[in-house]
Amino acid sequence: MAAAPTRIDVLQLYRSLMRVARQFCDYNIREYTKRRTIDAFRDNKILTNCSQLSAAFSDGKAQLEVAKRRALVYSLYAPKVKSIMDIKPS
Amino acid sequence: MDQGRSSLAFRLRPMPARLRISCAAKPETVDKVCEIVRKQLALPSDKPVTCDSKFAELGADSLDTVEIVMGLEEEFGITVEEDNAQNIATVLDAAELIDKLCSEKSA
Repeated sequence: MAAAPTRIDVLQLYRSLMRVARQFCDYNIREYTKRRTIDAFRDNKILTNCSQLSAAFSDGKAQLEVAKRRALVYSLYAPKVKSIMDIKPS
Repeated sequence: MDQGRSSLAFRLRPMPARLRISCAAKPETVDKVCEIVRKQLALPSDKPVTCDSKFAELGADSLDTVEIVMGLEEEFGITVEEDNAQNIATVLDAAELIDKLCSEKSA
């Protein structure tokens, strides 16, 4: 059984997920990643059971790896036309 | 012969700064930080947010603090290191760090 993640570990994971979200070119995926991260971390804020904490933490780390790979692949095929939501009103 | 005090050519010693300014960051930086904090925490407009406001007092938990730091990174175009980000507890901490990083970036 893995040791329970510390507060610092959890916050670092949160920060890493938010950072990787920023790397997506697609507006929808970027916003989804941010929203999903925020929702998941807030829902699991009340967990106290050690095994549940470890499970949630390793789940988060796996998702981070997935997101990093996806961000890289998406950036190789980034569309030229940006989403309307990304265009700042001039 | 040493004329002594008759000539005014004494070296000017820098006086030690006894009076410390309460807010050592640029006011426009502080204003932007306050605005981002206000938006992130959805504070009512009558709640005062000043240099000394602690995020915890304004109702932010550690996740909110991370989001605020992310928002500040995007606003000012800087990257905050993990260690620095752990130590941000008040609006002033954030504004001072931003000023330092912006001046390092433009240097």
